[in-house]
Amino acid sequence: MSETTFMSVPRDKISWHPTIDYEKCNFCMECATFCPHRVFEQREGDRRLVVANPNNCVVFCRACSKTCGPDALSFPDKQATIAQIRQIREQESVQ
Amino acid sequence: MNSAILSCTGLDKPEGSVAREVAIRMASSANSEIICPVLLNRSLARYKKVLAENPLIVVDGCSTRCASKFAESLDLKIDRKVLVADASKSSGLTLEPTLNLGANGLALAQTIVDGLVQSLTAPASTTQPAAPSTEFPPPGEYLVVTHDKFEFRIPSTDYWFNENDVWVRPLGDVARVGISDYMQQSLTDINFVDAPAMDLAVEQFGELGTLESSKAVFEVVAPVAGTVVAVNPEVLSNPTLINEDPYGKGWIVEARLADWKQDVDLLLDGSAYAAAVKHKAEEA
Repeated sequence: MSETTFMSVPRDKISWHPTIDYEKCNFCMECATFCPHRVFEQREGDRRLVVANPNNCVVFCRACSKTCGPDALSFPDKQATIAQIRQIREQESVQ
Repeated sequence: MNSAILSCTGLDKPEGSVAREVAIRMASSANSEIICPVLLNRSLARYKKVLAENPLIVVDGCSTRCASKFAESLDLKIDRKVLVADASKSSGLTLEPTLNLGANGLALAQTIVDGLVQSLTAPASTTQPAAPSTEFPPPGEYLVVTHDKFEFRIPSTDYWFNENDVWVRPLGDVARVGISDYMQQSLTDINFVDAPAMDLAVEQFGELGTLESSKAVFEVVAPVAGTVVAVNPEVLSNPTLINEDPYGKGWIVEARLADWKQDVDLLLDGSAYAAAVKHKAEEA
């Protein structure tokens, strides 16, 4: 699913997506199998998974990390993201 | 209080070794009967009596949650759960990177055992969730979003939603929180509710517990900031109530509101959420 806005803020202005720690990732693909929004992709010829579509990630969703046995997925700080969203909304309401 | 305990086998990661150690210590110090997952897989009958007569504790090592998934596959009723990886983070005890437990691993195992023993032996009055503080009338009219063969209901008034499919219904300075019809259908049958602690103070978009189904672990993203004042005891014992009546009897938490006026700015009313559900259903 590609959401174009989140709380009226353009999705691509919100920094919210998983980051993969390749030191921990064991290439089990549980996260890619689980995520219905096609955030992750595996490139041909590379066993590593990549965050190919970060803006498909549902803001504040961390469900993939709850499937990750090796704890290789991390997300930004929620409160910082909320502050960012509020700031953008305030700027856009002023304009 | 006696119990049955099903743990990770402890043969893949240090977290698993801690789970196994917890089971062993619970057996020796707290009258728990260990359910060997390998033997259970071969012979459910071997454990039928102990599972029927005792609350089941499941201890998962990591987020793969093999033990939980195995229990769910056998339709075993889980009384309480521990995830060692989370316990490691919350306790600050970082595990040594070996299957043979080091000092931190052993300390973490004992910390988990102490917590389990305390929760099993505490008087019911201290472990039972508080009763709902307010009578909330049932939802009135619904909006209905149709997609293929699916219908998703959304109360047209009195309920607000975040874009993470969690609703809030304020009444005075208290609000009820639950998940939407769209999300309960997406998750399918919910089989475990990990409720937030009483008196927990949560920020808007913070975590208000998790719901587990065979499809996913769903984080209940708080639609409002507040303090937990009640947890629905009915959904703890019967999680599928959330599937059956997501806006009524399947409520999850009550919270005393911290700043409704600020929080509502980042929420959707029924008609706006209906538009969001339509978009989600079409894109899914």
